[in-house]
Amino acid sequence: MAVELLPASRNVSLRVRLQCDLSAVRPMTALVRIFLQEQHATPDEIQAAELAIVEGSNNAIKYVNGEGRGKDIDVEVVAGPDQIEVRIRDNTPGFEWPAQIALPEGESENGRGLFLINSLMDRVNYFRGRGQNFLVMAKKRNHTGAGSISHSETQRRLNDSESIIRDMAEELSFCYESLSAIFRCSAELGKSNNLEEFARRLLSDLAQITSAEWFVFRTSQNETQLETFVSSEQTILLPALNISETANKSVECEAAVAREDVWFDHLNPLKSGDPLGKILPDSVGLVHPIYMGETLVGTLTIAKSAPGSFTAVQANVVHTFSDFLAIQIVNARFTEEQVRNRLVSRELEIAKTIQRSLLPKTIPRLSGYGLAGFCESAHQVGGDFYDVIKINDDSLLLIIADVMGKGIPAAMFAAILRSLLRAVPEWMNQPAALLARINRLLFEELSGVDMFITAQLVYVDSRNRRITAASAGHCPVLLSLDGDGNIKSISPEGLPLGILPDTSFSNHTETLSRNSRVLLYTDGLTEARNSAGEFFGQDRLIKWFKHSGNARKSAEELKDDLAAELLAFQSTSTLNDDQTFLIMTE
Amino acid sequence: MKVEANGETLNVSGIKELGAANSQNFRDEVKGALSDKQKNIHIDLSETLFVDSCGLGALISLHKTTCNRNGTVRLLNPTPPVQQILELTRMHRIFEIVNN
Repeated sequence: MAVELLPASRNVSLRVRLQCDLSAVRPMTALVRIFLQEQHATPDEIQAAELAIVEGSNNAIKYVNGEGRGKDIDVEVVAGPDQIEVRIRDNTPGFEWPAQIALPEGESENGRGLFLINSLMDRVNYFRGRGQNFLVMAKKRNHTGAGSISHSETQRRLNDSESIIRDMAEELSFCYESLSAIFRCSAELGKSNNLEEFARRLLSDLAQITSAEWFVFRTSQNETQLETFVSSEQTILLPALNISETANKSVECEAAVAREDVWFDHLNPLKSGDPLGKILPDSVGLVHPIYMGETLVGTLTIAKSAPGSFTAVQANVVHTFSDFLAIQIVNARFTEEQVRNRLVSRELEIAKTIQRSLLPKTIPRLSGYGLAGFCESAHQVGGDFYDVIKINDDSLLLIIADVMGKGIPAAMFAAILRSLLRAVPEWMNQPAALLARINRLLFEELSGVDMFITAQLVYVDSRNRRITAASAGHCPVLLSLDGDGNIKSISPEGLPLGILPDTSFSNHTETLSRNSRVLLYTDGLTEARNSAGEFFGQDRLIKWFKHSGNARKSAEELKDDLAAELLAFQSTSTLNDDQTFLIMTE
Repeated sequence: MKVEANGETLNVSGIKELGAANSQNFRDEVKGALSDKQKNIHIDLSETLFVDSCGLGALISLHKTTCNRNGTVRLLNPTPPVQQILELTRMHRIFEIVNN
């Protein structure tokens, strides 16, 4: 027998409704017979079911009374893979289904119906309800079919089974080889963390398992380019491919765009100009595009020389390997990014700590003057700092500086600058000379890393009521020398530190009057932006400074005022740069 | 259905089915055809594809009638499905079943 009909693998049902009339029973069972034949029930199964339905229906009609006479009877036949079930809903008053059903005495004319049902069916249940009852009967199905099986049929089935087992064993052995290769390569990855080497080993194993001769694994860059990640052909240079531009000639790009495997062989050969054509003439293979969700991770091409080909099982192994590789690559990239982010945030933390440690814990006092400093770090911490060095009872040096750079290097230069400034106390009354010296000392280091520092030094001599300022490319010093609100902005000449090896700075001296005020600041103040993108600007700063003398506030109070002014201005935007200032009042 | 008298025997043939819908008619028709002379009934079941418990009841009813006349009911050449039902309900112990 070349073809054999088998029962459906799921339940198929027939529902019939019949009038409460004995003449309706046989037409109904004729439908049941056709249905069961369609469901490939055996003649024995059909005969048993048919007779049981007839007996059940006859009873439903014979024993009905009262209202039940006008009601239809429902019969449902369910043919499943393992049994045929029949349900008959009747409208009789019902009866007690006997615990034992014996064949009636020889010459009794009645009582054989229940016996037949019970004998023909394998399971019978009778559910008695109010005004309606259900008779449910089931007959087990016999799959092997009736009759004996011939020797040749047995041999054929045996051959079929053997072939199925062989296929399964082959698939199982592929699964085993895939799994062990994946485990082996994963263990290697744990040791070396070299993703490229890992991919090469994994794909070499894949090539061996599937008897392939070459492979090319490319990864996607921003979903627009395919770059070679590893290839079995290390000597052949495979250029990066622009996916949308080369989709019509590169089978790899074609697969990436189509999002499905593309096979190539002699019927569907590689196009001329496809870089893969350089590898091995007359190759037969497939390109599997690797997607993680909607994201293109890359493509894997695996091939052998004609007339070889890949089986469905081998193609499955290719899919398993490439999906596994994709997971490893995506994970590795994610981990790398996380480590980088952690390093950056750790570096910023260190830089912030250094910067904080550079600020004076307490500001030295100078008789007759008040001093206050403010330093607010931006998220991407820079190298702002201020310092106040007491020289003697009558004089001190005010310092404000901005190291141009971010992170730890900027903080380190700020620390060096702070030490150098303190190293030669005798030069502190000559700010220009001090800046020139520091520039000489720091030039090489600063220019080596393309960094520079702007700084402003103000020497304060309280005995002679004089200040001397020098600047290395820093913002001007603002001075209010009288109580009338006239503001003087002084910016002595000088390049930032680290620009030229030898540069000179000039001193600018001013005499202080009663109620004079001095403000040193960094450009983080004037370049602060509000949510509309406007700068705080020097005009706004000068305006504030002009009116700040009105209330005769202390340096500390003025510091709080200016800090509040800045905060109000940029309340909805984030800080882009450090903001530092130093205020002195008389 | 065909009913023919042959001496002491009434031959009945051409029965397609013997079930609830027609067994009462079958019984009445055969009994009606019996004359005083006949004590045996031969029922040809070679064309009968279906018999249910009511059909069996009708056959038993005829059997009782012949018993009263010291005669018998003979069932001739039942089809395999009918033969199966007859055996299942042990009718072969009551009737003489003849296969030619």
